[in-house]
Amino acid sequence: MFDFAMLAQGVATLAASPMALVMAAIGVVIGIFIGAMPGLTATMGVAILLPFTFGMDPLPGLLLICGVFFGGVYGGSVTAILLKIPGTPAAAATAMDGYALTEKGQASLALGTATVSSFLGGTGSVLVLIFLAPVLARFALNFSAPESFALAVFGLSIISSISGSSPVKGLIAGMLGLLVATIGLDPMGGFPRFTFGFPDLYEVPFIPVMIGLFAAAEAFKTMEDPARRLGQAARLGRLLPPWEKLRGVLPTIGRSTGLGVLMGMIPGAGADVAAFVSYNEAKRFSRNPENFGKGELSGVAACESGANACTGGALLTMLTLGIPGDAVTAIMLGALTLQGLQPGPLLFQQHADLVFTLFAGMVFCYVAMLILGLGLMRVMGNVLRVPTALLTPTILVLCMVGTYALNNSMFDVGVMLVAGVAGYFMQKYGFPASPVVLALIMGPMAEANFRRALSLSNGSLDFLWTRPITVALLALALLTLFLPLLRWLWQARRGGGSARHSA
Amino acid sequence: MDRRSFTFSALGAMAALPLGGRAMAASYPSRTIEMIVPYSAGGGTDLVARAFADIANESLPKAIGVVNRTGGGGAVGLTGIARARPNGYTIGLGTAEITMLPHMGMASFKATDFTAIAQLNADPSAITVKADAPWQTLEEFIAHAKENPGTVRIGNSGTGAIWHLAAEAFGKDVGATFNHIPFEGAAPAVTALLGGHIEAVSVSPAEVSNFVAAGELRMLGVMADERVAAFPEVETFKEQGIELSVGTWRGVLVPNGLPDDALAALREVAATAGQSEAFKAQLAKMNLNHAYLDADAFQAKIAAQDEFFGELMTELGMAR
Repeated sequence: MFDFAMLAQGVATLAASPMALVMAAIGVVIGIFIGAMPGLTATMGVAILLPFTFGMDPLPGLLLICGVFFGGVYGGSVTAILLKIPGTPAAAATAMDGYALTEKGQASLALGTATVSSFLGGTGSVLVLIFLAPVLARFALNFSAPESFALAVFGLSIISSISGSSPVKGLIAGMLGLLVATIGLDPMGGFPRFTFGFPDLYEVPFIPVMIGLFAAAEAFKTMEDPARRLGQAARLGRLLPPWEKLRGVLPTIGRSTGLGVLMGMIPGAGADVAAFVSYNEAKRFSRNPENFGKGELSGVAACESGANACTGGALLTMLTLGIPGDAVTAIMLGALTLQGLQPGPLLFQQHADLVFTLFAGMVFCYVAMLILGLGLMRVMGNVLRVPTALLTPTILVLCMVGTYALNNSMFDVGVMLVAGVAGYFMQKYGFPASPVVLALIMGPMAEANFRRALSLSNGSLDFLWTRPITVALLALALLTLFLPLLRWLWQARRGGGSARHSA
Repeated sequence: MDRRSFTFSALGAMAALPLGGRAMAASYPSRTIEMIVPYSAGGGTDLVARAFADIANESLPKAIGVVNRTGGGGAVGLTGIARARPNGYTIGLGTAEITMLPHMGMASFKATDFTAIAQLNADPSAITVKADAPWQTLEEFIAHAKENPGTVRIGNSGTGAIWHLAAEAFGKDVGATFNHIPFEGAAPAVTALLGGHIEAVSVSPAEVSNFVAAGELRMLGVMADERVAAFPEVETFKEQGIELSVGTWRGVLVPNGLPDDALAALREVAATAGQSEAFKAQLAKMNLNHAYLDADAFQAKIAAQDEFFGELMTELGMAR
């Protein structure tokens, strides 16, 4: 069973290594900054810092990377809430309700809740990692192509719950996303589709499109009225959200943490999938789902706790099996190998002392994130006081620099600007942007895994109904897609078309 | 080298700052050299490039700065190397893909557009199965595949990628029909093998080494001329009677038409850094196989591989 002595030993070792603690805190700060910048992702931050850790001892080096990873996932929410600029794909989910709260003048409440939810979700997932790692170790192996396909279909069905006031426009936006997702190399055969001879289009330029749709489009919109300021929102109130508000979202945080850990463990699904799935489930379980998209606090809490809980899940699979759950842990796998630690079944036997010290360090990273996050918010909140005439050009420059930095490619900057113009008109005519982002995440995942599943079964479609996880996820997808319709029909019959009788 | 100076040289390379060092006789290089890496930061190719740049910078008056230019399965960055102005200030870390992408119509360059400086690393393909699989030897595996054509599933890192072509070449050579399953990289393919969703993978020994060491997977053979240092007990295909040697490689490449002084200077630096103990140690840490080849041997290898893949892809119907 679980060895508490090892954990206590780990905490003691950690407390005795100030260098490791400092590195963890530095990592968190760098991570928050990187996450907050559009285009700079946690993956990139970890990759850039990796060479710096070569010369360090294993513990400070690995904690620096963990700090960047955790901070990067959280940092995306800050600009998403304040400016509707999601720094990371996961924060695109946070932006839906977070920015709506800012517009209502509740920026500090949204930021505080996001920070506390990130902390609780992340810490919860590390605790799962510490206590349940051996139990859950082999879970990821049950996930093959059919299951990943079903998960992606479920993810796509979430479009129906993030479409805002007009489900039809949401579906149109989702279809647009799916169309854009077909651009690039066909995931199985490797044939170029709609690339028009540009090798730059071999992979869907996902992050440039997202930055364009959200950040650039928002910047274009503010140009309509340069005198506009977020006025009342500029006043940041108390940072720690009041207990009565927090208590209301605790069940959501708990549920989202579980979902986040699960999504983290599944290979191929990361913080972005976790954030959207958590949002969807929060809405499903909510007593007032109609508030979602209009500034519902539990929407913010769900996305942030889900996205951050992903970290523990991804680390669990990576450390116990040597299988990276997402791009960041793939790089961390390399970092561990370079330190002479081979992740996998043998790691816990051969380096148990270091592993448990690392676990203690991860919890420390999250505590540091809570404190630094709440502290940095004061500074970052000042962004809202900047006049639009200065803020808008700055945002556009950041969008361009961030996009360029992604692949060192001017082509991507062009893609971002085109997406920005498209996003501007979408916003003007009431088409939501988040279904496009969701379709871009899930579309390629669904297609590749469907075709891979067919290939694995030699062309038989039996996998659709013979595998329990696949069946369950597909059923959930159908339910998610048609529940709003059924609810609407039911209400129409009972209340003669009035929506006042909501359950 | 102690840790501190190593960190500092890493810092220097990252920021592309000029480092002090032994000045070279020739005027080249008089400013920072940009090294294009066609794959993302943190990946194997990137790590090789950064390790090489760190060590090379110790003997260069101006530093090599690593720039990741990703996209198109390497096509974007490789095109960048091939089309760079041939003045010696844009060099690249090329991979086996320069001999593959052009045949698939996925690149505007040809393998002959590059001038070789030095090969730094090479990793063969290995056929690996689950430890509890019924096949103890490559021979048994091939016999099973021949009896059950099309049912043995071999996972690879993507259609048209090196491990896919290695598995195709394997099937063609022994006369067996495999079901080739592409994944998004080697790690997901290995995951599927661990989960029992496929029968084998054709990725490099380094990518399965953890699991082979832990007794979860079994390597049946490597497609190399010599056994791999990390797994001396695993026989090569040639030892088992199959004349097949397929693998990836990484090396320093420049566009054609470089001035002679720059070419000579780069080859000298690559020879020193590429064969240094520090570089070997760094590769070993990353589970990568050190395989230095000088410019002439490397250029000849590129030409031979280009021909091999051209023929293979034409036969497979993948050439365009």
